[in-house]
Amino acid sequence: MLTPGNGGTAAHRKYVFRTMAFMIPYAIVCLTAITGLFDGIIGKPTGWILAVVVSLPIMGQIWSTLDLMRESDEFVRAVTARQFIIASGLAMAGATLWGFGETFAGAPHIPAWMVYPLFWGAFGCVAPFVKSSNG
Amino acid sequence: MKNRLKLLRVERGWTQEQLGQALGVSRQAVNALETEKHDPSLDLAYRIAILFARPVEEIFENPHG
Repeated sequence: MLTPGNGGTAAHRKYVFRTMAFMIPYAIVCLTAITGLFDGIIGKPTGWILAVVVSLPIMGQIWSTLDLMRESDEFVRAVTARQFIIASGLAMAGATLWGFGETFAGAPHIPAWMVYPLFWGAFGCVAPFVKSSNG
Repeated sequence: MKNRLKLLRVERGWTQEQLGQALGVSRQAVNALETEKHDPSLDLAYRIAILFARPVEEIFENPHG
């Protein structure tokens, strides 16, 4: 999106609120897992419950972004779509590069869930430079 | 797409925010149109034409002819 700071529309404010609502629980579960609180279920079939729980906020975040695009005008929608496509492409390219690096070059393993933070990192780098809808 | 939107807006003493409200789009969208960073949809182009009571061709330059 264009960035919440320069938007200020009701749709942007709702997006920021929803982002916080989804990302704070995501971060809490991740940090709690790091502290070892879930060690009792990690590696067992019930660990899938934790995997699903920590993945749900990501689905919510994508829904929130799509809703922002739906409620925005055509310019914001087009720019947000461009930013997402470029950031997704960079994240996929980076993840693919590293995956093949692990397979062919013995690169150290990085968990697949890192692709989501990688995507947002890419989005943060891309957004300030993608401000037009027509290239 | 080259256009006369800024000229028409300034002639009326409107801000980008005011024009955006009249058109139902954001200020950023108006700015992007004026700076040629966004090519309007046909729907938006017609809304602009109605607002300024001018044909679309008088506001937006036809890039194909």
